[in-house]
Amino acid sequence: MDKWKKLTASLLGPAAAIALGLLAGSIAIVIAGGSIVETYAEMWKGAFGSFYFLTSTLNRATPVILVGLGAAIAFRSGFFNLGAQGQMALGGLAAALTALYVPGPGWLVAVVSMLVGIAAGGLWSAFAGYMDARFRVNLLITTLLLNYIATLFASYMVAYPFKDKTGSAAMAQSQMIDNAIWLPKLFKGMPAHVGLLLALAAMVVLYVYLTRTVSGYEARMMGGNPLFAVYGGVRRTPLMLGVMFASGGLAGLAGAGEVLGSQYRYIDNSFVAADFAWTGIMAALLANAHPIGTAVAAFFLVALQTGGMGVEMNTDVPLEIGDVIQAVLILFITVKFVRGFRRRRKEGDPNGAAV
Amino acid sequence: MEQLFDLALFNSALRMLTPILLAALGGALCARVGLFNVGLEGLMLIGAFSAIVGNHYFGNTGAAIAFSIGCVSLFALLFAYLCIHLRANVIVVGIAMNLLAAGLTTFSLRTLFNVKGAYYNKDMVGLPKWELPLIKDIPVVGDILSGHSPLVYLAIVLVGAMWYYFYRTIGGFRFLAAGDNPLAARSLGIQVRRYQYGAMLACGVLCALAGAQLSLGQVTMFTEGMTAGRGFIALVATMLGQSGPLGVAAASLLFGLMDAFSIRLQGFAMPSHFTQMVPYAVTIAAMFLFKNKEFVKDAQSSGTSSR
Amino acid sequence: MLLKMEGISKNYGDVRANRQIDYDLKPGEVHAIVGENGAGKTTLMRILYGMEQPSSGTIRIGGREVRFADPKDAIAHGIGMVHQHFMLFQNFTVAENIVIGKEPGKLRFDRKAAVAQVEALSEKYGIRVDPRARIVDCPLGVQQRVEILKVLYQGAEIIILDEPTGVLTPLEVGELLEAIRTLTKQGKSFILISHKLNEVMSAADRITVLRDGEVTGVLETSRTSIEELSRLMVGRPLAAMDKQPASPKEKVLEVKELSVLGSGSKPAVDSVSLHVRAGEIVGIAGISGNGQSELLQAISGLTKPARGTVALLGTDVTGKSAREFRNAGLAHIPEDRYVWGANKSATVAETGTMGHQRKLGKLGFLQGRTVKARVSEWIKQYAIKAGSPDNETQNLSGGNLQKLIVAREIAQQTAFLIAAEPTRGVDIGAMETIHEQLLRKRDAGGAILLVSSELSEILKLSDRILVMYEGKIVGELQEGEATEEKLSLLMVGGKRNG
Repeated sequence: MDKWKKLTASLLGPAAAIALGLLAGSIAIVIAGGSIVETYAEMWKGAFGSFYFLTSTLNRATPVILVGLGAAIAFRSGFFNLGAQGQMALGGLAAALTALYVPGPGWLVAVVSMLVGIAAGGLWSAFAGYMDARFRVNLLITTLLLNYIATLFASYMVAYPFKDKTGSAAMAQSQMIDNAIWLPKLFKGMPAHVGLLLALAAMVVLYVYLTRTVSGYEARMMGGNPLFAVYGGVRRTPLMLGVMFASGGLAGLAGAGEVLGSQYRYIDNSFVAADFAWTGIMAALLANAHPIGTAVAAFFLVALQTGGMGVEMNTDVPLEIGDVIQAVLILFITVKFVRGFRRRRKEGDPNGAAV
Repeated sequence: MEQLFDLALFNSALRMLTPILLAALGGALCARVGLFNVGLEGLMLIGAFSAIVGNHYFGNTGAAIAFSIGCVSLFALLFAYLCIHLRANVIVVGIAMNLLAAGLTTFSLRTLFNVKGAYYNKDMVGLPKWELPLIKDIPVVGDILSGHSPLVYLAIVLVGAMWYYFYRTIGGFRFLAAGDNPLAARSLGIQVRRYQYGAMLACGVLCALAGAQLSLGQVTMFTEGMTAGRGFIALVATMLGQSGPLGVAAASLLFGLMDAFSIRLQGFAMPSHFTQMVPYAVTIAAMFLFKNKEFVKDAQSSGTSSR
Repeated sequence: MLLKMEGISKNYGDVRANRQIDYDLKPGEVHAIVGENGAGKTTLMRILYGMEQPSSGTIRIGGREVRFADPKDAIAHGIGMVHQHFMLFQNFTVAENIVIGKEPGKLRFDRKAAVAQVEALSEKYGIRVDPRARIVDCPLGVQQRVEILKVLYQGAEIIILDEPTGVLTPLEVGELLEAIRTLTKQGKSFILISHKLNEVMSAADRITVLRDGEVTGVLETSRTSIEELSRLMVGRPLAAMDKQPASPKEKVLEVKELSVLGSGSKPAVDSVSLHVRAGEIVGIAGISGNGQSELLQAISGLTKPARGTVALLGTDVTGKSAREFRNAGLAHIPEDRYVWGANKSATVAETGTMGHQRKLGKLGFLQGRTVKARVSEWIKQYAIKAGSPDNETQNLSGGNLQKLIVAREIAQQTAFLIAAEPTRGVDIGAMETIHEQLLRKRDAGGAILLVSSELSEILKLSDRILVMYEGKIVGELQEGEATEEKLSLLMVGGKRNG
């Protein structure tokens, strides 16, 4: 019974935030000179209106859910991994290159590519974790800075050595990968692909991991009260490296999935332009790092984006209306964290540290 | 441009270090009172955007900068309120601030100027380049120091001003005390919270100036995400410089040089990607010089994870 | 009469921290207040210094009644407080620390004038300091002098010294007593709060003894003795205990010459050697703050010692991690349940799992039902008011959380158990239950190290008692020969006769 209560509670936050966001969006719509009802109707249609649009939204949500889950496992354990963008880029690049150059039957190469993508993202992330564990270099900042290095490296790879020189392409992108390796679509003619199932599976696995395994328990306790965890015998370094690898691995898988199932090549900057990584991180923050809540939040955030595109095409309101609503949602992230802290503050030491 | 090191490099470095320096000074103020501000990036972005907006609507850079300061200050105030009064986790609020800035600037870019990606108006005038009367004629120094936007000179002045404030005035002394030991400061009647709000607001002003330098200081335009991580580099400069104005200036100089150097390297048939990596890689390397406290002690003092 | 406090009472909810306390102070006098932890000394001083308001009673200074709304008020009336934990700014200089709040200069800080003023002050009161030295570079004895000069600079006539000698070396203690003598000759008065009776005897003119929030005696120093004082401080009826005599077997814990660094130049734990055998409870008596916490952290894997060795069942575990300690046979009831012993945002079951999770795992999966069943068992056994195990830990009262932690650690069934302040904040009934469980473990062959600032608890449970004072073991008494008087004497630094 209480488990359902907890689940609803973790979904209540994002739901309330979205409601308030829509309110703010209404104001923005009026400013932009549109009709509220019409705009939101187009938004709904754009996100879920037809089966095609629905699967489009699901397709776009796939990498976001994966990144969100990666962020969730890190945040839950008390580690601020903000490097999803870089981890995803490396994962996608590695998967593309593997798919292009490793011989073998299609399905096998696909699987191997995904594993390589996971490893790439995971190792990049664990690298930052190692620097923190061994040299005490601040994890939050290193993961952020490593983003830039990783995305620049990936850009370079498809602008020079692995650039697709066939065709008129002035774009920096890798060659297209072979048909046989493409991840199959879920429904004929519709955008959503098998990656979505992987994302949902990951969500379940993460949920089970956190709630039912010994290691997941230790991770959660480390996040909740690190001194308690250390007192109880939990070793921080192995935990951190493992969690960071999983976190980055999920981001890497997000990139691999996009390459193998959606774009069929690694296109420079496409992940950044679509903002997959930061949307995923936002989803995890909104849902307080609960695995299922994160997936749901990710879906709704993406719906805002695809809905926004529908709004753009059919009304005078720009698609960035989605950005406004998202921006307001973010404010409510902090308020949510605040509510939890209000309680702590009441019991806390009034004369304590500055903040 | 065949040479790797020449005076033009240092001139560029001075220009490029300015936004980092300004933001880092802001970060230093916040750090001194216990607020680890990871939102410098977002504040700078808002500053850059609102400077362009101000310039567009008011037609002159002075008003633009004032407008920018006003906008960023609002966000800084919000930031401060959430962290100080509502006791939210300063890191989460900082991340939220960055995301907020990105979303709002994108939306506003669209609704105000009807463009995506970047806004450029060839009729808009950016910050003037000041040729310093006597200095410009001094052989080496003149080439480096002269011909910059006023914000560059302001930044240098501010380093001195902050130094004077911290180490020579009573107000600055109490400000440092409030950060060094808030408990002791309170027992003496020092208003720690007021200093925290002040620090955050001042940081907002500085980030606004940093952003204005970015969007008005060289090419007058706004590009989405144009801060490109400078806010985080500034944070590292703050840490390297131990939140002291001179240390921060030295660290910013290092990073500014790296920035300029990386662009210079592009002229040497090295792919621009690697040259662009240089600032970030150098920053990470520099972080090895600044290490966090041992984990258990850190947790005991902050009561939660700070990483 | 310079200061007169009459009928001061302070209640925190149900807890009566101060009960009708009278206290007065003459000019030029040193009037000490002594008592154990929790006797009410700190509360009384916080009231005097304006950090708390009394629930009833009056304060008179120079005959006029006063009310202090905050420390600034108290300072304005000439009361200065030198806190037990110094309120200094580590990175500033001595002079800066002394003049802060009343700095010379208007906008610009005239540091030269500050140095001059501090030198003059130092001269006047005969308290030597180097105005330009940075606090972080100064030994603790000097830092304390800075604190004293600070209150003098602010114009204090009454100086409160709260446990001033805790971190000082014997030489520095001597210098402090000198300084007090000099200042009283110049008309300053001191309120000396301490539990170290030999120092109090040499410094004070009068002594007020507090126990459980009440005054149990006001004595002239020349007409009393340490024995009388410690009796007044600590006297409590002994709880009758039905305890089987111990039959200890092999050594389980062996600590040799253990030293742990402290915050100053004085070590927190100074070359301590002790052992605990299977089937015995060794109690460490002492007023908290004498190195017990640091000792416990060093023998549970939470801190690395500077010197010495720790061995559990023959395995050397010196400086190893908590996990290795636990694997070697340690369970630990921590002294601060919220900092170390629990996760407030987790459920009761989750808090109860810590330390057991690896044993309760099958193929990496935590056996949820087993965990809950176990925790429910504990809830019944220890009468923990927790609702269901799925309740949040932060909803438990302090006492109930403590019971949960005790249950959890005893259920580890290890060879060795640390019980640090096991019944702090716990009601009588729970106390009995916990004591019962500890004795049961000992009868089953467990080795228990009990650390407590409650003397009655130590006497009730221990087979052997060690007394810790200033980081050292200053005495060892067998169960039969230990009395409250002997122990309280050792706890306050007195010497045993015979």
